[in-house]
Amino acid sequence: MNFKGTLPTLILEALMREPSHGYRIAQRIKERSEGVLNFREGTLYPALHKLEIEGMVESFDSFEQGRTRRCYRITEAGRGMLTKDRAEWRELSRAVTSILGEA
Amino acid sequence: MTGLDYWLKQATCNLAAASAAQVRREIQEHYELAREAAIAGGATAEFAAASALKALGAAKTANRQYRRVLLTSGEARSLRGGEFEARAVCSRPWLRWMLPALPLAGLAVAAALFFTGHVSAARDALIIAIGMSPALTGPVLPIYTPIRSRVFRVVKWSGITGALLIVVPVDVRSSWLLFSSLWIIVWTERTRASIRRKLPVAAWPKQLYL
Repeated sequence: MNFKGTLPTLILEALMREPSHGYRIAQRIKERSEGVLNFREGTLYPALHKLEIEGMVESFDSFEQGRTRRCYRITEAGRGMLTKDRAEWRELSRAVTSILGEA
Repeated sequence: MTGLDYWLKQATCNLAAASAAQVRREIQEHYELAREAAIAGGATAEFAAASALKALGAAKTANRQYRRVLLTSGEARSLRGGEFEARAVCSRPWLRWMLPALPLAGLAVAAALFFTGHVSAARDALIIAIGMSPALTGPVLPIYTPIRSRVFRVVKWSGITGALLIVVPVDVRSSWLLFSSLWIIVWTERTRASIRRKLPVAAWPKQLYL
């Protein structure tokens, strides 16, 4: 399914519970959407870098299973953005549902 | 060359060395995790490698997106050039005085020409001095915040545009010579704007504020 433009919000949502590396973020999005949001994983990292430049997430190195991995955690600014995005999405979703529901 | 190597080669095309190294590292980590998860799920090594690669999607699409957020080789070159200029200014104290003094000298010349009756030449000297002053005084002005940077750029471009409109005769304004001379300035400004979007403000060198 095409969900262009919502990937940054989904990444922030995936990072809300705990810091994570790219692969786990991708899997979390796919699992929670029950496979509907099946995006190309190569495009996840540019979105993560953009969020990092904007100060919404920060990266750090973590040692897992004998390997150093690049992990990301959500910042206060990121939490604020996610709250705003959630409210906007609910409003949009309600509006579209009311139109499609009438059709 | 493995499938992943080929994917990485395409995805890192035209990226700066540091950006390319970062992409290689994160994609290799991602690929390994995806491959191991597929093998743990019962897939053969070959199928796991193929599915991990397929999940990454088109390398060219990733490259396009990476170039929007990471420094390209051209931008890294431009940053290095700017650092060289900044070092040149900082390491020569006389240059720190000389650069702001040049527009002042231009103003003095304009005044001298005006009082000796050369009004037209005085006008041109005045405009050139005003037009050049942002570029010459910028490196030594205390511009260290994005707001000051924006104000400075507005003043700079207003000065340059105004000076050009007044000094350059109407019939020369659309000539290829003028366009080719201005092209370097416009290109540098465009590159700096792109770098500003890609680097956090805390990491901006002085040149990006100008």
